[in-house]
Amino acid sequence: MRQPYEFEKKFGDQIYRCSSCGFCRAVCPVFGLTSRPALNARGKMLILQEVLEGRAELSEELVDTLFQCTTCANCSVHCPSGVEVPEIIKAVRKDMVGSGTCHPAFAGMKEILDRHTNIYGEDEPEDFGRERNRRAEYVYFIGCVGQYREDEATEETLRLLDRLEVDYTLIDEVCCSGVLEDVGFQMNQDLVDRNVRAILATGAKTVITGCPYCYRTFNNKPRYAALKEAGVRVIHISQFLKDFDWDVRTDKVVTYHDPCDLGRHTGIYEEPRETIRKIAPNFVELPNARAEAVCCGAGGGVRAAFAANSIAMARKRLEEVESVGADVLLTDCNSCLHNLANAKLRRQKFKVFTIAQFLNRLLDEARVRPGAKEVA
Amino acid sequence: MKDDVKASLRELVGDANYTDQLIDLIAYSKDGSEHRHRPDAAVWVEDSGQVSEILKLANREKFPVIPRGAGTGLAGLAVAQSGGLIMDMSRMNAIREINIEDRVAVVEPGVVYADLERALEPHGFFFPPDPASGKVCTLGGNVATNAGGIKGAKYGTTKDYVMALEVVLPEGRVIRTGSRCMKTSSGYDLTRLFVGSEGTLGVVTEITLKINPRPPLSATAMATFDDVEAAGRAVSEIMHSGILPSVLELMDREGLRAVNTVTGADFPEVEAILVAETDGYTEEETVYQMKRVVDIFKKNGARSVKRAKSREEAEALWAARKAAGGAFTRINNNLFVEDLSVPMSRVPEALKVISEISGKYDLRIPTVGHAGDGNLHPCISIDARDPDQVRRMHEASAELYEKIVAMGGTLTGEHGIGLAKAPFMSMEHEEGTLALMRSLKRVMDPNNILNPGKMALDG
Ligand SMILES: Cc1cc2nc3c(=O)[nH]c(=O)nc-3n(C[C@H](O)[C@H](O)[C@H](O)COP(=O)(O)OP(=O)(O)OC[C@H]3O[C@@H](n4cnc5c(N)ncnc54)[C@H](O)[C@@H]3O)c2cc1C
Repeated sequence: MRQPYEFEKKFGDQIYRCSSCGFCRAVCPVFGLTSRPALNARGKMLILQEVLEGRAELSEELVDTLFQCTTCANCSVHCPSGVEVPEIIKAVRKDMVGSGTCHPAFAGMKEILDRHTNIYGEDEPEDFGRERNRRAEYVYFIGCVGQYREDEATEETLRLLDRLEVDYTLIDEVCCSGVLEDVGFQMNQDLVDRNVRAILATGAKTVITGCPYCYRTFNNKPRYAALKEAGVRVIHISQFLKDFDWDVRTDKVVTYHDPCDLGRHTGIYEEPRETIRKIAPNFVELPNARAEAVCCGAGGGVRAAFAANSIAMARKRLEEVESVGADVLLTDCNSCLHNLANAKLRRQKFKVFTIAQFLNRLLDEARVRPGAKEVA
Repeated sequence: MKDDVKASLRELVGDANYTDQLIDLIAYSKDGSEHRHRPDAAVWVEDSGQVSEILKLANREKFPVIPRGAGTGLAGLAVAQSGGLIMDMSRMNAIREINIEDRVAVVEPGVVYADLERALEPHGFFFPPDPASGKVCTLGGNVATNAGGIKGAKYGTTKDYVMALEVVLPEGRVIRTGSRCMKTSSGYDLTRLFVGSEGTLGVVTEITLKINPRPPLSATAMATFDDVEAAGRAVSEIMHSGILPSVLELMDREGLRAVNTVTGADFPEVEAILVAETDGYTEEETVYQMKRVVDIFKKNGARSVKRAKSREEAEALWAARKAAGGAFTRINNNLFVEDLSVPMSRVPEALKVISEISGKYDLRIPTVGHAGDGNLHPCISIDARDPDQVRRMHEASAELYEKIVAMGGTLTGEHGIGLAKAPFMSMEHEEGTLALMRSLKRVMDPNNILNPGKMALDG
């Protein structure tokens, strides 16, 4: 008799609840790209059923599918049987890593976070020319992608906060390390402690995150419970911005990509739209929006491990942007921004921004052309 | 399958379209039914030329070939029961032509039902069968199973729309059947032979479908009944009243109970509900039909009748019926969706039989049905890890088939025979009929290459 797997204890029953109706084919971004049944949720559940029955082993041969899931949850939201696929996948990855099977990119990510402060292993953070770690009402927590890859978007977000005269501070932040749990490892307690200490030291009562994933980690992972216990509230930038009024407008056709971490995983669909509607009368929804939004392909470690497919998924999403004739694609996640902007083809003339970044641009233009209401 | 055969297959379709990786073989081992067997390899085909070459190779090397669309079949259809090659059609997914003047759509078999629907919508046209799996199932799969849906009573099923096919025969020859003319009496109706043939007689590589203008208006009503037979009588009276509702759906008490327990909803647990939709081009026409339907509901003792005044209200009336699919799968870890069809007048009797069998075998069998065409889906919900429940389920199904066939019904209204119902073919079909089916199979597929083991053709 083999030892029961950890994932089996919690999810054994659910894995058998998959009725193999195949409805996940309609929504899985990896399947949409590859039309390979082994890569969608039904395929994964069938494979896990065989693992539980001892007819397949949790081995290298399964890495291509079990580590190739963006955990976007489009399948689970639409699953008639209510199978929580992303949770199952994350649990299985832990068992795989535990028994020595892992995608090299994920093993690399873990090693980097053992030695460095962020997923890119770059130890010289951009300081954005602002004082850090001061006492303030708010902490603005940037996140790895915003810090090391999309620093332009971050710079503009910070300038927006300056404009709004928000009393915020940056901190010596490190990776929230939530991603480690998605790719089979434990979170890194040292990194968690450093973030908690730095946040609490500012006396801030609210953390605004630029990254929806950090938002989820701070709010949902027990390791960050110290924040809640100290009365610190964590909100996403889209929640913070929704209460402001703007006297700038754009007549460009604007559309919005719901990040999976913000939408399906967190239920924040309305706040970004509230802001967009105030500034963009020509707002159009993508064909697949809100709970139907198709993943940009970056999540679940897929961008690191299966880069070509990740970019190709982003391209499919960008086709939807083209189909609605948008001039501007907004999103509210630096990771989505990064993947979508990288995937954009030269012939695709629309621009990709975060909402805060776009707002800041509108305000910049209004300043150089004083009195102008129709700008950008 | 021998290594050199695998190498030939790889050469025929190219590296990117061939696999014998473990993860693919497992993922291809099952469809929407409980039948499961790993193939030896799988290919994604791109055109009829490749299909033809593969079938020729299969005849030389004697390995089974199983065409596969989305694998949503519910009767053990696209399953490699004796190994062999899964031929995945889903990358042949181009809509080749939509011709409104001729009222046809020409598609490759891998086109997903919903994608054709989206493409036809701007023209105000549709392909009516509307299977509940439409978001994912392929038109090739629809043709091969003669798929139906909730609009059967008024609009018929897939067979009523297939005008012409391109088919690769089991030995590799590519043929065309039918015509794109609305009418033809020319020769045997080979098109119909392939419709519903479950991938046993040929691989469909192009489908010419008749498409219908979509009536823009509809009206919806829902009635509750304290007596299943009264609901059945209402159905029967509506269907011979001269009115053809576009939809007439039924759900029984056990079904309502399942929806309530699983979703936390609070639908009245009456003996049966009927949901009707009428459609048309003018409001007057649509409402007139609905008024007749409502009158018949009342005349047959409906406890309550609600008519929708808006789209939202219509959706509310549909809520219980629409929740059924998901709710039934969540009652337990396995659901066996039966697919019986009876002559219209026997619907009340069939419902009684289902309820008796549920009691006799101590099984939960919530039932929904396309009452307007006599097609009922009793869904047997069990814990498949309990051998006793599995045994009772099999016994209950067998008794159900026997009784339904005895009242002039058929084993399957729209899902097909496959492996699941192959053992019962002789219950419904006479020896001579079965013998003719088997001879046809032998003439067309002498080496029994295409989807062997299905439909009791081997016996
Ligand atoms: C939740 C759910 C709801 C459903 N609701 C309905 C419904 O309302 N009505 C209904 O009729 N069915 C329904 N079905 C059953 C199923 O969706 C249909 O039988 C559908 O037609 C199968 O299409 P597919 O593409 O999945 O085919 P598959 O399951 O892949 O294949 C089905 C059969 O077709 C053959 N085949 C596929 N493509 C070809 C081809 N190109 N050439 C030759 N043979 C081919 C296969 O060999 C197999 O025998 C439902 C299934 C599920 C899971």
